[in-house]
Amino acid sequence: MSDAAIFSLAGAEPAPRRRLRPTAGRLLLGLGLVMLTILVLITLLAPLVAPFDPSATSPQSLEGSSSQHWLGTDAIGRDVLSRIIVGGRTTLFITFTAVSLALLAGLVLGLLSGYVGGWVDEVIMRILDVIFAFPVFLLAIAVVAALGPTVPNLILTIAIVYTPAMSRVVRGPVLSVKKWDHVEAARSIGMSEWRIVTRHVLPMVVSPIVVATSLTLAQTIFTVTALSFLGLGPPPPDPNWGGMLADARQFMELAPLTVVGPAAAIVFATLTFIVLANGLREVLDVGSER
Amino acid sequence: MKNDQDFPTLPDEALALDRRHLLRLWLTGSILLACPPGLAMAAGAAGASKAGGTLRIGADADPIGLDPTIVTAFSSNDFTALLYSGLLRWNAKMEVEPDLALSYDMPDEKTYVFKLRQGVKFHNGKDFTAEDVKYTFDRILDPATASRLRTQYASIDSVTIVDPFTVRFALKNRDAAFLSYLASNPDGAIVPKEVEELVTKPVGTGPFVFESYQPNQQFTLARNPHYFEDGLPNLEKVVFKFYKDQATLSSALRSKTIDMTWLKDPKVAALMARASKDFISAPGQTSRTFPVWLNMKAPPLNDVRVRRALSLATDRQACLQTVLGGSGKVGAMIPESQVGGYDGVGEMPYYKPDPAAAKALLAEAGFPDGIDLGDYIVVAANPLDVACAQILQQQWQAAGIKVKIVPMETAPLLNQWSSGTWATLLSVALSWTPDSDAILQYLNSQSKFGKAMGITDEGLDRMMTEARAETDNTKRAAKNLAIQKHIADQAYVLQVYQYPLRWEIWWNYVEGYVPLAANIRSFVRNTSLKG
Amino acid sequence: MKRVILVRSMWMAAILLGVSFVSFMLMRALPGDFVLAAAGAQMLQPEVLEAMRRDLGLNQPLIEQYLSWLGAVLKGDFGTSFVTHQPVLHELWPRFLVTLELALIAAFIALVMGVSTGLVSARLRGAADWIVRLYNGFILAVPNFVVGTLIVLLVGLYFPELAVLSYTPFLEDPLGNIAGMILPAFALALAISVTISENTRAAVLEVSNQDFVMVARAKGLLPRTILWNYLMRNALTPIITVTGLQVATLLGGSIVIETIFAIPGMGQYLFDSITSRDYPVIQAIVLVAAACVVFINTLADIAYATADARVEA
Repeated sequence: MSDAAIFSLAGAEPAPRRRLRPTAGRLLLGLGLVMLTILVLITLLAPLVAPFDPSATSPQSLEGSSSQHWLGTDAIGRDVLSRIIVGGRTTLFITFTAVSLALLAGLVLGLLSGYVGGWVDEVIMRILDVIFAFPVFLLAIAVVAALGPTVPNLILTIAIVYTPAMSRVVRGPVLSVKKWDHVEAARSIGMSEWRIVTRHVLPMVVSPIVVATSLTLAQTIFTVTALSFLGLGPPPPDPNWGGMLADARQFMELAPLTVVGPAAAIVFATLTFIVLANGLREVLDVGSER
Repeated sequence: MKNDQDFPTLPDEALALDRRHLLRLWLTGSILLACPPGLAMAAGAAGASKAGGTLRIGADADPIGLDPTIVTAFSSNDFTALLYSGLLRWNAKMEVEPDLALSYDMPDEKTYVFKLRQGVKFHNGKDFTAEDVKYTFDRILDPATASRLRTQYASIDSVTIVDPFTVRFALKNRDAAFLSYLASNPDGAIVPKEVEELVTKPVGTGPFVFESYQPNQQFTLARNPHYFEDGLPNLEKVVFKFYKDQATLSSALRSKTIDMTWLKDPKVAALMARASKDFISAPGQTSRTFPVWLNMKAPPLNDVRVRRALSLATDRQACLQTVLGGSGKVGAMIPESQVGGYDGVGEMPYYKPDPAAAKALLAEAGFPDGIDLGDYIVVAANPLDVACAQILQQQWQAAGIKVKIVPMETAPLLNQWSSGTWATLLSVALSWTPDSDAILQYLNSQSKFGKAMGITDEGLDRMMTEARAETDNTKRAAKNLAIQKHIADQAYVLQVYQYPLRWEIWWNYVEGYVPLAANIRSFVRNTSLKG
Repeated sequence: MKRVILVRSMWMAAILLGVSFVSFMLMRALPGDFVLAAAGAQMLQPEVLEAMRRDLGLNQPLIEQYLSWLGAVLKGDFGTSFVTHQPVLHELWPRFLVTLELALIAAFIALVMGVSTGLVSARLRGAADWIVRLYNGFILAVPNFVVGTLIVLLVGLYFPELAVLSYTPFLEDPLGNIAGMILPAFALALAISVTISENTRAAVLEVSNQDFVMVARAKGLLPRTILWNYLMRNALTPIITVTGLQVATLLGGSIVIETIFAIPGMGQYLFDSITSRDYPVIQAIVLVAAACVVFINTLADIAYATADARVEA
């Protein structure tokens, strides 16, 4: 679909709001950064922060909250809190890596498609349409079944899934920037295409890409946990949030905390990137609505 | 006794059988076991209920075809069991009793002559005769049909019609499994002669008639008005509703959207049964085992010392406690509901957990610093299996054995298992089979799976053949136990625990129902709804 | 315009062809097939398995299988399900309707929630605007399967006798059917309502800045009249487009919610069919889901192209 159209559509806003934006925006951005710091710190220090070995089983299963196990234990007696903390590692690692890969692919394809245009644009966009129209879960199941449920395979799947969206995010602004006067001018004085792209086109499209990337991070957390929820996540015994949620569903009336814990973790992580995206959008003055 | 409407119900009728054959029929079943408590309760309250009503059963899988001769999926059994009858059937104590047959005679060890019930009608209105019995088994044995049952009935030499209500089966050899197969559904189900498309339009002599099927939603059966047991079935209709998800299934039962179901996780079932005293829960006999299959074609698992170390490193009781919440027993090759099934407490070689001894054995085999066995493949869709694998991984770790758990989709996993291409360890649970021999065959050097695992043990093969030929149940049980001890001693497979495949649970207004280890719900024919 | 539509339609067909080919080859390349999945752990003789494969035509060369599948599809024949032995379309149609119903109810809930919060945010500005945007941000952070699971949990804890998890066929009990759809539709609607809300806000803000609204305002028309006559009518196109896109995604992507709430729709059907390797069914679902996405995408593109043309002219 035409993201450029959405951008231009959402971009024009009434003048009085512009004065208010930077302060509120900075506030949001600050909040987002604090949340991100918490998330990253907990993730990096997971083994130190987690009170128990997340894989150690015991016959004390499905116990409620206690001074020892703050969030209780799961169906085979593992500490839920420790599993949430360590589970964030896997989930966030997959998310960051996959989005980076998708971003890289999106930059290359989006620039090619938007800047070169013509039949190159058509061909790239149609191939991406095929991927875009492909059900995510079919792809995920296929990759997992063919190559095994490992973390790299999961990253690959998710990177493929998000490449079309990232390419479009890049292509849209490139299309409009290309027509701008100073790009035309640069071309008329015989600047090389490479220089035009790196000097004049890329800097112009950075803002929307940054915003879109943080939103994509939020969406990717959703996809990673949803795939794990359906049993297509990283293999046990390494914990992951989606898988924990799915496992806990069977016993949820007996041990509600085993559901609430991972659910809260998923929401917190997603929220972090959404707050970040909104803050960035306000500060960078990008009118994108992805 | 010409008119089928006047037939007394089964227990009385069974008394009318010739005493010698009756005795034989009773004995042919499996070992006697005490009724589980829920079962006694269910049977006791049967008097006050009235006929009619619709029973709604929660099922977790759609049937794949309804032709008993060619179905291969377990999920079809629930439906074929109510649609078709066989010559014999399992009673509430898992003993063989007559069904479409009235009695049988054995002129010699290898010949069975069955007297058939008269006046029985198929759902399409045609009379049931010896022609249908012969047709059914000829069809099974015809290689062109490609029925999975052909190997099970391989001992049948010929089926001859003596008169319209007498059939003679001539066997090639003595076969204790023969009657078990006849009594099981769909294995022994009789199909009408020359009726096409049973796959989608089933026609049997069972208590219920096929009415409609909406895949993934519901499967509806209606009362067979011409059913041969007087006054049965009680219910007007039986509706199976499909819930793929166990959490959804238990929630549907709680909200009384369904009247009965079975749950896969004994822990969930036990907790649920405790939640309301209006639930009747029947764990039933243990019918499913959780094994770790070993690839013994190559090092290191071709070394019996490594396999024994693995067995010694395993604390089966701990697995049982943590995964099943104690609702099960330590397992061996044959589950307790079968002839010679392991009771979970008897002595078995290399069963007592001993990490130190395991380490010593590993060192002796050339792995003093422990061993990495690589991928341990489990069925991703089975949470119990995945949970147990994680516990095993930890236990083995303590004895210096490292594994990496690889949950896999069912189809590729079965592909690796049956072709013998998996790396070292793989788990697929074994479910109830009509006869203990079918379970043992997985470890027969000549069978597909035996070859895939790389077993070459002619002595074991011979023991199995002898056990199957033993028609005296007590002697057969002893032989089966000896086989299991041999398997545990050689550690050809690592059986962890056994548990009820179906932990059935229902609301107490459902009366007269009895759960069976046989993987079917045939007692729905006796079930009624109170008030 | 006609030319654009023609070119677009050809691209659509090409994309669908590509999707069907990729999914066909992908599924066949996976280890394990229908015959093995159906047999389970039972010990079946190789000749039994071979006979089953022969009956299903699985022993033919892949490219031949694809071409014969494609040929049949072009004639409107999607084949027979391996599992249920019924024609695939006959099986798929009711499930498509179920998912469509779910998606439409979700879209309706999302429209009501999204348009109202969007209007509040655009009209009132200030604090209300920020509250709505914070609320939207939070709602967007709660994935639908988390909402679904929590709904099921709460109902299970506090209203155990409430049958949230039972799907009632529409023809059996229309009211019960819709009642059963509301909670899952709500879970799906939340995230969509955010997109609609933000688009409504943006559209209303943009339109209210344009000349004809200024003129209307200068003419002294009542704010309410302006809102309904000018703003909503003009803001409607992007809102409907966005809703349409979201519904298209739902048609192929409500798999998790369908699983949680036991709704027999296309998502669950796809998942089950992949597990059992029911190839004809997988092919049909992928084609239908892809067609929905591609079709609505194309519509959106054309709508924008028309709008752009109008703006530039």
